[in-house]
Amino acid sequence: MDKRRFAVLSDLTVSRLTNAVKRSRPGRPVALIPDLLFGFMSGVTSADPRPRVVAGEGGGRVAGRRCTACGEVCAFAWPACPECGGAVEPAEFGPLGTVWSATVVRIPVPGRTPPYGLAYVDLDDGPRVLAHTGGPVPVGARVRLVPGDGDVEVEVVP
Amino acid sequence: MTVAVHGVGTSHFGRQPGLDLVDLAFAAVDEALRNAGGPRTVDAVWVGTVFAPAGVAQRVLRAMGLTGMPVLTVENACASGTTAFAEAHEAVRTGRYGRVLALGIEQMSTAFEGAITPEPTDPEGRSGLALPALYAMAATRWLHEGRVTPAQLAAVSVKNHAHALHNPRAQYSGSFTAEEVLGSRMISDPLTLLQCCPTSDGAAAAVLGPLRPGAVRVRSVALRSGRPWNHRSENVWGHDVVRATGAEAFEAAGLGPADVDVAEMHDAFTIGELVTTEALGLTGPGESGKAAESGRTALGGEQPVNPSGGLLSRGHPLGATGLAQVAEIVWQLRGEAGGRQVPGARIGLVETMGGGVSVLDGNACVVTVLEAP
Repeated sequence: MDKRRFAVLSDLTVSRLTNAVKRSRPGRPVALIPDLLFGFMSGVTSADPRPRVVAGEGGGRVAGRRCTACGEVCAFAWPACPECGGAVEPAEFGPLGTVWSATVVRIPVPGRTPPYGLAYVDLDDGPRVLAHTGGPVPVGARVRLVPGDGDVEVEVVP
Repeated sequence: MTVAVHGVGTSHFGRQPGLDLVDLAFAAVDEALRNAGGPRTVDAVWVGTVFAPAGVAQRVLRAMGLTGMPVLTVENACASGTTAFAEAHEAVRTGRYGRVLALGIEQMSTAFEGAITPEPTDPEGRSGLALPALYAMAATRWLHEGRVTPAQLAAVSVKNHAHALHNPRAQYSGSFTAEEVLGSRMISDPLTLLQCCPTSDGAAAAVLGPLRPGAVRVRSVALRSGRPWNHRSENVWGHDVVRATGAEAFEAAGLGPADVDVAEMHDAFTIGELVTTEALGLTGPGESGKAAESGRTALGGEQPVNPSGGLLSRGHPLGATGLAQVAEIVWQLRGEAGGRQVPGARIGLVETMGGGVSVLDGNACVVTVLEAP
């Protein structure tokens, strides 16, 4: 029994489950909507917490937030500034950045095929983001965000 | 009120899938209560665990007749055990309760096949950042900066595995060479298998009460959660929260890093011990690797670090780890540590930190300074 599958149920999923039970009739099975079932089966929520990378001039751009109070930048569309709690406004960062550090993961991780490269990338005038690199990259390398869904990806600038 | 540790106890540490948490917890609590003397009960219990199921605290405690008193469960990643200790300490210090049990429990072997599964609701967990990879980022950065060498990283593993040769409760031990450490299987570059803590099951406990003759005195406890860690941070992940928590604990104790005779700290990975050694001020910047390599932080050295074998070798059952560290320092300060005793140790330090939440410099860090009877 993997309790973690239950631990990752979002509030939304729980409310859907509650409503599905309320709607059900005695003696009939509760109708489970597909993403609820998927949530149980896969152990992941429907909301993707990773930064969103959109297509921009010269490469991908992280659609994040900038604090209107302290100016701190953030790769996430969070409701307030993680530095000071101030109000935030949409801001885009990238596409270029510098590798702060990097590694290659060589152990099994659910849903992934090792080895895979990861780097913390300091975007020019932007936040530090965790990005997939494919293979090994040196510290200090110049990289460019690749637009796309899912993982944040960078490629080394030739 | 001044607080003391009246008694400590632990289970064996290791892969113990045939036991359940009731067995592991009983081993630790039974030993701690016998060690403390007096009635086989307490006024309140704080339990630290990370992955145990809901209700686990009451489930293990009712199996040993500890019912009816306030029971609180806390989670602070790898610092959950020392968080329970910190809260138990505060409860006694303020007079809220007289005699309090802090218990840490974790069974990893039945929850994970290998490394902890990255948390999919966290951005970096969802991106596949396993914990070894987070520490590997710090190691890569320090190697790049020339602040540490591969041989110095390996020296931490060599040292702690050798320490555990004298600890019968340790998960495993061995006389490894630096070449063997660096030649073991690569986990997340540059960290090899022997630079990573094992998958462990275990429990550890401490009974706290008012200061009394013969008991180890708690000079101070500090607990902090991390600030944002980002492109502005001058240091690698985890350094600054350990530095801030350590500084707070030293100030409250009226002591400094030079006063520490023996320390147990968070060496989940070799780089972790080195970052922590510098963050606590036991060595200057760039000096921790040399200290490990030269034997300064080994048993017989000036300031031994992780005489128990640390997380690398004693094992790392997450919620139990902090109280296992407390137990080791209590034994050291009472002169009961056997073949790994640091002669004449008067001041001991415990540091635990836990992480995993992205954009933070650690979920929590606890530092406590203890004094011999």
